[in-house]
Amino acid sequence: MAEATIERAVVTPGHDGSAELLLTIRYDNGGSGHVGLDAHGAARLFERCAATRLEDLVGQSWQHIMHILEQPGD
Amino acid sequence: MDLIIRNGRLVDGTGLPSFFGDLGIRDGRIVHVGGRIPGSATREIDAAGRVVAPGFIDPHTHFDVQLLWDGQARPALEHGITTVIPGNCSLSLAPLKAEHRPRLVGMFQQIEEMPDAAFDGAFEWTWESFDGYLEALRKKLAVNVAPLAGHSVIRLWVMGDAATERAADADELAAMQQLLRQCLEAGAIGLSTSFVDVDENLQPVPSRYAHFEELDALAAVLGEYGRMLQVVPEFYATDITLARVDQLAELSLKHQIPTTFSPLFDSAAVPDNVARVLARVSEQMARGARVWPQVQTRPIDISFTFEVASLLFAFTPGWYRTMRLPREQKIAALANPEHLDGLINEAEPDGNIERFDTIRVRAVIRREDAGLVGRTLGDIAAERGSTPARVMVAISLANDLQASFLAANLGHNDPARVGPLLAHPMVHIGASDAGAHIQSFSTYGDTGYLFSHFVRDRQDFTLEAAVKKITADTARIWGISDRGLLQPGLAADVTIFDPAIIDRGDEEAAFDMPEQGMRYVRHARGIEAVIVNGELAWSAEAGYSSAHSGQVVNA
Repeated sequence: MAEATIERAVVTPGHDGSAELLLTIRYDNGGSGHVGLDAHGAARLFERCAATRLEDLVGQSWQHIMHILEQPGD
Repeated sequence: MDLIIRNGRLVDGTGLPSFFGDLGIRDGRIVHVGGRIPGSATREIDAAGRVVAPGFIDPHTHFDVQLLWDGQARPALEHGITTVIPGNCSLSLAPLKAEHRPRLVGMFQQIEEMPDAAFDGAFEWTWESFDGYLEALRKKLAVNVAPLAGHSVIRLWVMGDAATERAADADELAAMQQLLRQCLEAGAIGLSTSFVDVDENLQPVPSRYAHFEELDALAAVLGEYGRMLQVVPEFYATDITLARVDQLAELSLKHQIPTTFSPLFDSAAVPDNVARVLARVSEQMARGARVWPQVQTRPIDISFTFEVASLLFAFTPGWYRTMRLPREQKIAALANPEHLDGLINEAEPDGNIERFDTIRVRAVIRREDAGLVGRTLGDIAAERGSTPARVMVAISLANDLQASFLAANLGHNDPARVGPLLAHPMVHIGASDAGAHIQSFSTYGDTGYLFSHFVRDRQDFTLEAAVKKITADTARIWGISDRGLLQPGLAADVTIFDPAIIDRGDEEAAFDMPEQGMRYVRHARGIEAVIVNGELAWSAEAGYSSAHSGQVVNA
């Protein structure tokens, strides 16, 4: 089974006045969903994915996001 | 008669057309509405040319701490807010054991940006129980307060450290139920919980460790009193929000309670978010559930410093990489002319005027830079013969990376979408967050913005409909039975304003927190007088009065 991947990464305003990263995940069955990361989580995602720009996140595995969500203070 | 407000345009909160006449008040209650009241009163106010409306109710605030040293909840009161609901997002100051105070302070600091000084000497911790907190509050209230009890602190009380480790067992569930019951008996208007917030260590707050069975058990207690459940959902994650709407609907129907979730934002990044959520809300409301999405009136601004790697820089990899460097390396890199030239070239040779030109300087720490506050980078760049990006770096370095900047109106900012959303019959106007995020942006004046922008400028609402949304509708949603209308017998909470000029003022830094702590505020425009339980609490002429007529109110 193919793995869910990041289809889109955009910056959006968070309710606390900071910029947040909004990721669109595309699942194997064609469905999609959104996940938001704060500045700290986003920085960690960039590091994990060795990304330098937003576009680099596209196509990355959703497992990277899961890791960050499961260990928020890591 | 204690007070007669004469010749006003009475907008009574029902949404029906306004009418002209007098309003009479005795013993803190409205006793006469409309027509000409004969005779005289102890005090009279001439409201000719002004709107006389029920006092506004703000359903999402974090005034929990501030109210202990400022019973007027400044500057909310001067905006016409006569009732505030604190204790949102799972956080309240009670019930709280003394040993858990440091943990709560950490959560408040992380989530609400409440400084140390606010907890250290600004008030005396005299309570552990919810009624003890209310007793401390009542000493000098000038606004009405309808406080929520926070799920996170209830969990902390019962489970201690395990509150952030695991689900509750049966005995703990029963203890939490009993504790919530005590809070509701004392006067809590409901329970708040959060599915998204983190503490100062970026770990989930206690409420996030609860299983649905725990929320169900607590909602059962709310059902005994018919009180509110407030939640913070995973905003922008539409599918999860839909699931939360369904969960709330089940709890509402099963326990016959009202529920509300806040905030619901419109976002260009997820353009179908609002439509999908409202469709689900409508579906559940049609089943008889009460699930109220709270929507704020103001657009979202983004504020940032160079201390943290803001995602605003994610569009330019070199900048974002530099911002993620350790502090000293970051300063060295930004101070290196060669490195800076590289960043400028990446941003665009013109310093990326389009992106940085309109960003404003929010705050600086160097006294000699104080004159920069409030000005745009474009303006400063023109004066210095530089570019906005270079100016931004220079100001940051000069202020040890602690200068803050504001990029305004970046989200929830399309009035053609937000206006109709606010007017939607199933939308609850709120989510101001007043009293929170105090060092990032002002959370005051949303009601003024509602009238200036969505009533006067865009005409998404009639004046009467807008008043109803933030008075009678709010009171009905929360079950506050004796407020929200200009009606004989109800509490005399009244806001008098000029509909031609009511607005929120410009955002400005104020140093009125304990120990001269800074926060951002907006003062009111066009409000003439604010009356709380029959007493003049604020007026444009005399400012804040010495009245302390605020009460703890509940459903």
